[in-house]
Amino acid sequence: MVCIATTGNAPSGLGPAGQGKGQQQEDGDKKNPQEQKKKWEPPLPTRVGKKKKKKGPDSASKLPAVHPTTRCRLRLLKMERIKDYLLLEEEFIQNQERLKPEATREEKNEEDRTKVDDLRGSPMAVGTLEEIIDDEHAIISTASGPEYYVSIMSFVDKDLLEPGCQVLLHHKTQAVIGVLQDDADPMVSVMKLDKAPTESYADIGGLENQIQEIKESVELPLTHPELYEEMGIKPPKGVILYGVPGTGKTLLAKAVANQTSATFLRVVGSELIQKYLGDGPKLVREMFRVAEEHAPSIVFIDEIDAIGTKRRIQRTMLELLNQLDGFDTRGDVKVIMATNKIESLDPALIRPGRIDRKIEFPLPDIKTKRHIFKLHTSRMSLSEDVDLEDYITAKDDLSGADIKAVCTEAGLLALRERRMRVTKADFTSAREKVLYRKNEGTPEGLYL
Amino acid sequence: MPEPTVAIPVTSEDPKKKKQNEKESTDEQTDPKKKGEEKQGEELSEEDLQLKNELEMLVERLKESNTSLYRPALETLRTLIRTSTSSMTSVPKPLKFLHQHYPGLQTLYEAWPPSDDKSLFADILSVLAMTYSDSEPRGTLRYRLLSASLRPESSPLTDPGLWGHEYVRHLAAELGEEYSARTLGEDVEVEEQTEANLDGEDKEKEGDQKEVKKKPAVVPGTTDELRSLAMECATFLLHHNAEPDAVDLLQELEIVDRIAELVDENTYERVCQCVNLLPTPDDRAFLKAAHSIYGQHNKFPQALSLAIRLGDPELIRRDFNAPANPLMKRQLAFLLARAQIPREWLEPQASEDGAEDGESELPEDIIDCLCNTHLSEHFREFGKELGVSEAKSLEDVYKSHLENTRSSTAANVDSARGNLAGTFVNAFVNAGFGNDKLMVEAEEGNSWIYKNKDHGMMSAAASLGLSLLWDTDVGLSHVDKYTYSAEEHIKAGALLATGILNTGVRTEADAALALLGDYVENKSVPLKTSAITGLGLAYAGSHREDILQLLLPQVSDDAVSMEIASLASLALGFVFVGSGNGEIASTILQTLMEREDKQLEEKWARYMILGLALLYLGLQDGSDATIETLKAVEHPISKQAVVLVDMCSYAGSGEVLKVQSMLHLCDEHIVKTTKDQKDKDKDAPEEPPQDDTFQAFAVLGIALVAMGEEVGAEMSMRTLNHLMHYGEPVIRKTVPLALGLLSASNPQLPVLDTLSKYSHDNDLAVALNAIFAMGLVGAGTNNARLAQMLRQLAGYYYKEPDCLFMVRIAQGLVHMGKGTITINPFFSDRNIMSRTAVAGLLATLVAFTDAKGFVLDKYHWMVYFLVTAMYPRFLITLDEELKPFPVTVRVGQAVDVVGQAGKPRTISGFQTHSTPVRIGTTERAELATEEFIPFAHVLEGFVILHKNPGYEKEDKMEL
Repeated sequence: MVCIATTGNAPSGLGPAGQGKGQQQEDGDKKNPQEQKKKWEPPLPTRVGKKKKKKGPDSASKLPAVHPTTRCRLRLLKMERIKDYLLLEEEFIQNQERLKPEATREEKNEEDRTKVDDLRGSPMAVGTLEEIIDDEHAIISTASGPEYYVSIMSFVDKDLLEPGCQVLLHHKTQAVIGVLQDDADPMVSVMKLDKAPTESYADIGGLENQIQEIKESVELPLTHPELYEEMGIKPPKGVILYGVPGTGKTLLAKAVANQTSATFLRVVGSELIQKYLGDGPKLVREMFRVAEEHAPSIVFIDEIDAIGTKRRIQRTMLELLNQLDGFDTRGDVKVIMATNKIESLDPALIRPGRIDRKIEFPLPDIKTKRHIFKLHTSRMSLSEDVDLEDYITAKDDLSGADIKAVCTEAGLLALRERRMRVTKADFTSAREKVLYRKNEGTPEGLYL
Repeated sequence: MPEPTVAIPVTSEDPKKKKQNEKESTDEQTDPKKKGEEKQGEELSEEDLQLKNELEMLVERLKESNTSLYRPALETLRTLIRTSTSSMTSVPKPLKFLHQHYPGLQTLYEAWPPSDDKSLFADILSVLAMTYSDSEPRGTLRYRLLSASLRPESSPLTDPGLWGHEYVRHLAAELGEEYSARTLGEDVEVEEQTEANLDGEDKEKEGDQKEVKKKPAVVPGTTDELRSLAMECATFLLHHNAEPDAVDLLQELEIVDRIAELVDENTYERVCQCVNLLPTPDDRAFLKAAHSIYGQHNKFPQALSLAIRLGDPELIRRDFNAPANPLMKRQLAFLLARAQIPREWLEPQASEDGAEDGESELPEDIIDCLCNTHLSEHFREFGKELGVSEAKSLEDVYKSHLENTRSSTAANVDSARGNLAGTFVNAFVNAGFGNDKLMVEAEEGNSWIYKNKDHGMMSAAASLGLSLLWDTDVGLSHVDKYTYSAEEHIKAGALLATGILNTGVRTEADAALALLGDYVENKSVPLKTSAITGLGLAYAGSHREDILQLLLPQVSDDAVSMEIASLASLALGFVFVGSGNGEIASTILQTLMEREDKQLEEKWARYMILGLALLYLGLQDGSDATIETLKAVEHPISKQAVVLVDMCSYAGSGEVLKVQSMLHLCDEHIVKTTKDQKDKDKDAPEEPPQDDTFQAFAVLGIALVAMGEEVGAEMSMRTLNHLMHYGEPVIRKTVPLALGLLSASNPQLPVLDTLSKYSHDNDLAVALNAIFAMGLVGAGTNNARLAQMLRQLAGYYYKEPDCLFMVRIAQGLVHMGKGTITINPFFSDRNIMSRTAVAGLLATLVAFTDAKGFVLDKYHWMVYFLVTAMYPRFLITLDEELKPFPVTVRVGQAVDVVGQAGKPRTISGFQTHSTPVRIGTTERAELATEEFIPFAHVLEGFVILHKNPGYEKEDKMEL
């Protein structure tokens, strides 16, 4: 490598200077300034690598931000002004297209493109960029093993080149002829929820306060940010739902997903634990990046205790902390977390400023239980002797999920006997079964 | 606030669900899920059930025939509704329960005879109507008005505020809708003024919009009633921190002028802002309203700055004379001096000789303030304070050791150009300090002047003026020695220097006029032109009649060359900028008509029409007559003139329609394909479409109209981008200039990036203008990034003498006044446009529309036109004796806080300094302590302080 470097350096140090001199004389001879422009190599340093991270649309075409965010006429007028200008642009471009159609330019572009294609040649190979030597040369490695010192074609977008990226190589000369851009991590794209769940708020029995709270801290900030602005407060970044298993935490999150048109990313805490060090944090980072790209969005992390437990899986959680409350502002990204072991979570995670809304999901009270029972039995045909009140008023610690299990169990029992109706006996035995299973091992009534 | 779309919280979803339920009950309850939902609806807590039953009972009672029960029933209903609380996401319970009874109650209401009870009933219905706003719009308003009309005069209806915020907002929204609907309706059926007709009309119109109602008059009441109701609402809103809502409401009803009646001292601060975005007639009304508010509360600086914006001499005089406090008066004088308001405006409207009296009336110190007499003194002190008073050499600016060029290139550039560039750089960098090494401090005979040749000497001599800017005492004596020079160019330069150094400063002696006046009639062309230009610069914005007498003959004289006539016209444009002076206008028009076509073809013609255009700067439709006359001129120059006059009159207004018309002008593609064809065109001037200069002006026009209003400015950048993409060369080369104009002295990264891109354009003309624009954008900022870019360009263009020349000038501009001077034409928190500054910028940019013909040719001194836009970007605090008085201030990025809740900080990322400090274009300052109270509302330029009598030191408070 050293050898190459020195030999490569010597001419590049002398060559252009010598050339320049020669050209100077030439230029001196030519009187016409029109002719002499752009003969020499522009000494503009090209920028290699992703120096600036492109966020959103090009800054030149970005629309100005509109202040204030309060709903008022000033805002309306500003928005209208932007609209007016956009209309002007549209009109202008239309006129231009009419007067001077793109077609001619298109043709020219077409020509250029075929030329580039010729230069590229086919087939192409894929390699990894190991190191960039100078503006025109780089070291690449291919899957077959050896590393090469190759040239970079001038038409390659240097902004995209960075060490470690995948590049297209010419099949013979191995010159870099293109960059392969990988988009979001496939792991993250899986998280994105394409199909909204069918559960809606109507499927939730009770939990009225919880619904209201989650609406206020997750939905409203996305739909009506100005309400918060008017009040002069920053909306909460997210909420954590906690409570014993089966009390509807995930269900509520589903309902939120069902209700909102925002991008909904869902992930389970355990997914964030990866085999290799650094993979977990990377995933978290990637996830938030995707969330921001598709803002407004809601990130739902279920079973957060998998990573949020007193820094046992530190790195992942630290990254999460950073994402929640780091330097980058996450505007329209709201986080919902769910856990049933809030006491084991690192207090740093749920301190105010990160996740400052804690929503408790208690076991249903009698009213709610009644509601849940009704929800689940509304589609079952019950025989007359079934009096749900018996189960509702019983002092069992039934959660929403338990109730559902009881109803399903009862239905199954009836099904076993090919009955068309579910009887009281079914319910009683179903309830016993569920309770037995729930308290697994500890015989019922032993400690009463 | 009162947009139709905003009624969010009331009808979130519960009502819909209910409606669904109602529908379902007819649908025989098929869907089990929905059935569950209905059950849920039935399933209420006991309190809710009780409330519901009670409400239903009350409704039933109303339906019964026993009239004696009505009153208590209604009152109970009212209390129930009023006492209920609502949350953001749900409807108050009573409303929810009463929702389904609303139609029934409506019919019931119709059946009642008019009475007090009925009025009360209507009131309640009006509240209930909120829940029906989606299906029956404006129900709230309707019942409110009905209720009001049923009341006897003696006991007017209760305050709408009693029903809560939501109700008032609703009412406000409906008021706005109704009003706009009515005005539209009036447009359809003109001249029908009676109430009956109005109502009938309403019915027709409403009939289209919604289901047919039983009642003939949908929304009763006259517009006056609407307005009085609006006033009530506005009062309520103002008292509850919803000033924007109140303003919006009044604005929609076109009675914004009456807001002055409502505001009190706590609320007036937040009332006025959106002027720039309003169509023409409204904005003035708005400004006036704001002005009267400030006037009422004795906020003279604010009032005066609005008066300056309005450009109304009457108001300005009144505001200036209003305060009794001499200190306040001085502060106002500083403001007027910054705006370069002609002193004549301040004098009482008397006869001719009254002018003399007026001057003597003003005390000495105020005249000093008005004339900027101490500007130079203060500026130098400021420089000393910042440690920049030391003169900078050319190399300090170029920093060529950082350029990545090969050595021995300097010899290659022709030294004349290099020296000329040096002249400008030296002048701009050391502007105002009067101690540069090349000119002022140089020994006799060793001056930089003699390193230049011919016309270069003129610019060099004139640079003296810039170096000694504002220094009328010492400066003149320095310049004086060159006026006796045998060399004509030096003499001409000295004349120009005299003009330049008097820019923006008025003196008793009137030295500029005395010195330059004689040369106007001089035979020598350079002497004559520089005298004329010098006069124009020195008296820019002063509206002096004697200058008019002096210069006008030069314009009208057929015998003089086009160059002289045009420059005289331009000088008059400077002096009478924004005056709409009819005499000058008619003379210029006359000249345009009388001059031969051949002469009008000359490059100078554009200055002739620019002079005309400047007269109308900021006058908006005041130029209509002139434009019409111009259209009558047959020569193609009329088209350029129309564009220029039009764009100047709407400068800084943000008027979209003007931008549109400018864009239309740019639509055309005037093809000038090959060079030989172009040469041919020059021979054949009778083909009018070949003239495409007007397109260049139109591009500048877009920037000129859009600047001064942030949204428009940012959006017009996009537009300019498109122009760059599609435009012909003439448009492309003007786009960078337009960008420079838009963000003069305001180096924002995106603009810099764009310009940097353009500066490498294949078309050298584009690159040249882009480089100059980079200079404009960074003028007086010392922006390091920009300096780096320019150094790079210096390396890139080391063989293009033209471009290199321009790079040097741009470097000089960036370090203008060693970073203490701005050329941004907007001041006082970027609210007021300085007309003289715009005139200077525009004149410079027009020179660059034909850079080859002016700046790169013999007329490089045209760059000095910028001088009228140059002003120190300092904040100097003065004590009551007008002596500099250091206090601590915080300086940071300005934040737009209009319409935000509470009292947010107006600056962000601030640093604490001690005055004097310099303030960037987008920066703002505030006093760090409350020990002193400033007289000015915006801390910029000169600010007089006085001690806060109520101030207590913090440690004192602890005692």
